Amino acid sequence: MPDAPAAPVTSVALVEDDSATRERLAASVRAQKSLLLVAEYTHGAQALAGLALHAPDVLLVDLGLPDMSGLELIRYAAERYPACDILVVSIFGDEANVLAALEAGARGYLLKGSLQHDIAFDIRDIRNGGSPLSPVIARQMLKRLRIPRALAKKTGEEETMLTAREGEILNAISRGFSYAETAQMLGVSVGTVHSFLKRIYRKLAVHSKTEAVFEANRLGLIR
Amino acid sequence: MVVFALAAGAACAQESLVHTLERGDFVLSDALTPPPDDAPWQPVRLPDNWFLSHPGDTQVGWYRLPFDLTAEGARITHGLYLPRNSARRLDFFFNRIRQGGNRGYGDPGARNWAPPLANTVPALLLKPGRNVMHIRVVAVPEVRQGLTRVMLGQGGASRPLYELRYATQVTTFFMFGAAALLCALLAAGFWLRERSDTTLLWFAITAFAWAAAAFPWLHGAYTPREFFHGPLAFALRFAYAVPMLVLCLRVAGKRWPLPEAALWGFTLVGLGLTWLLSEERQGPVITYWSVTYLAALFALLVVLVRSQKGRRRGAFWLLAAALVFAVGLNAHDLAWWMGWIDYDSFQLAHFHIPLVLFAIGATIIDRHFRTVSAVERAKLELEGRVAEKAREIEANYARIQQAEHERALALERQRIMADMHDGLGSTLVGLLGSVQSGKPALEEVERRLLDALLELRLAVDALEPMDGDLGVVLGNVRHRMRAAIEDSGVKFHWQVGELPHVSYLTPQAILAVQRIILEALTNSLRHSQASAVTVSAQAEGRWLRIQVADDGVGFKEPGASRGRGLDNLRRRAADLGGTLDIQSDHGAGASVILRLPLTH
Repeated sequence: MPDAPAAPVTSVALVEDDSATRERLAASVRAQKSLLLVAEYTHGAQALAGLALHAPDVLLVDLGLPDMSGLELIRYAAERYPACDILVVSIFGDEANVLAALEAGARGYLLKGSLQHDIAFDIRDIRNGGSPLSPVIARQMLKRLRIPRALAKKTGEEETMLTAREGEILNAISRGFSYAETAQMLGVSVGTVHSFLKRIYRKLAVHSKTEAVFEANRLGLIR
Repeated sequence: MVVFALAAGAACAQESLVHTLERGDFVLSDALTPPPDDAPWQPVRLPDNWFLSHPGDTQVGWYRLPFDLTAEGARITHGLYLPRNSARRLDFFFNRIRQGGNRGYGDPGARNWAPPLANTVPALLLKPGRNVMHIRVVAVPEVRQGLTRVMLGQGGASRPLYELRYATQVTTFFMFGAAALLCALLAAGFWLRERSDTTLLWFAITAFAWAAAAFPWLHGAYTPREFFHGPLAFALRFAYAVPMLVLCLRVAGKRWPLPEAALWGFTLVGLGLTWLLSEERQGPVITYWSVTYLAALFALLVVLVRSQKGRRRGAFWLLAAALVFAVGLNAHDLAWWMGWIDYDSFQLAHFHIPLVLFAIGATIIDRHFRTVSAVERAKLELEGRVAEKAREIEANYARIQQAEHERALALERQRIMADMHDGLGSTLVGLLGSVQSGKPALEEVERRLLDALLELRLAVDALEPMDGDLGVVLGNVRHRMRAAIEDSGVKFHWQVGELPHVSYLTPQAILAVQRIILEALTNSLRHSQASAVTVSAQAEGRWLRIQVADDGVGFKEPGASRGRGLDNLRRRAADLGGTLDIQSDHGAGASVILRLPLTH
């Protein structure tokens, strides 16, 4: 582009089987100068094949795909393309789905039916460190990652234990404070809060894996 | 008894060295030295049972028993052996020189259980060729006294015969008496622990009676006055019979008060008679009583066999065998008493003691173990039943829980229906109305749709676990209204600290709180023209105080409805057990204050 230096363009791909929603999402992305829609997929398999080709910066995923579970797609994409930020598209942003998606490697979620500019905000947020975390989910993460030291040692989960700072951040978010307010309360920058959150997301993903291993061990699946 | 049989065989092996004196002469005479040969001797054959040969009162008589010795034999000391101490007094003379006798029987047992007699005949008194032995006898014919065969053995040749006889008649009696005493003590001990078991008591009494019967032998030094000999002998001979019969009845599971009383009475009469009658008159008493007891024993055997019909166990057969044995032994002794069998034969009745003791003991033990196993079975059955009951209770509990669960689900469905009706339903109906009016403002439609979506999202959020944390509930409202707050452009202050746990945060309560805050916030954002909105929450004692305050135009009049209606909010607050206050000065902002208890 000749009129650079504009803000770096973020390439976006989306996976959504419902054509109306897909259209709307696509329109929202197109409406933003900073975003570039590189691909629209209707099926998970399509997305798996297309990701290698398009290598988007952001992937919007609907959890209810016709051919595979959205979570599977997220897990696959998160592992193969760590540079790609994955956003789940959800109507409710409910705890069960969002938490599962976060554990699978997603970085946040988009609410279907949000105002158009919200999508841009959210995508921008996610590039910066993560979409706004709902208090309910923050609280769930707090619960999951607050592992007593003794137990963490026993199950080998020390690396997924929350630090005091991370705990404070999640606690503030769970009580409804925005990232900016949280940063102010803790005397850090918003960017720091974002990077903390990134770390927390990673811990959540690792935790879910070790938890799966631990559980499998417990059930005698792995010897 | 096998041992005795073997011993008897061994004894017989030496019989060739033993003279059995069976033939001789007899004369009635109370002379103190052997009568002369010209006295009226009558030939006699031993054994001589005076009950048969000289019935009547006590008499004194002399026996003359010749025997021959070789020159060699006459130089050897001989042993004298009589199978039974069979008379009140016996004096032995060899070639007219007195050499011992019985010491008389001081103890009544000697009369009734007749031990054998042994004596030494020094070679000095003997001579080669013909020798004559005289025996002076004082006998009571009524009690079957007289003279047994007389055996004279070279050296110790007759000793084994004596030993065998002694073992059979005396030693066994000791042993059985001791065994009976032991059984009696054991049974009594058990009975003391288990008073209701009269079988044990009768077993103890019977065993004690048997032990007592052997008492005179254990205390040979003790000699009661002759006056007591009769009754004591009677008691020893028969007293055990009654408790034994009663015991057998108990074992058979019978209780016959009348016959039992009759038996006791009969025994007491016998005891009295032996006491009152002189020894010379006791014969018939012993005869009749012996016959009666034998008959009773036989009857009991029949009763026992009949009573056990259908459940004849090992212990029963043992007892039956013991009783048959007892009947046989008693019959043998009765036959001896009646003079029907050889006068010298053994008295055997006491041999039934160990067997009957053993059999009855086995029966009691068998019964005990059956009781124990029955108790075990009952216990197992009871445990089974308890387990079954527990399972039933568990199943009932599960059913109740299921019902409870279903009821909760039904309530939840009702609640969701009501919420849909109040919230989403009415929003959609309003929207429909505005669309149907023909010229819907697109902005209005969008706003209402967003409201409906928000309603729906809050309803979904209310289902999330909040763990009693009202801070999360409030934070969630803010999160959901993020776009609206940012769009409104007001300065937003969020003052929610750590809040204490609230005990009743059910989905319904969460939704109610969210609705109230949502309403209050929406009012402030949409209608108050405020430039700043503050939401604060903190604990006040046992209450939580949540305030939504703005600096807008306030309410036109206190309590006037704005938006969806404050009455509605008050009702919701009251449903939560809390209060809702609205402070508003016209033109000077408004505060909606929700107070909620920490617990219900």
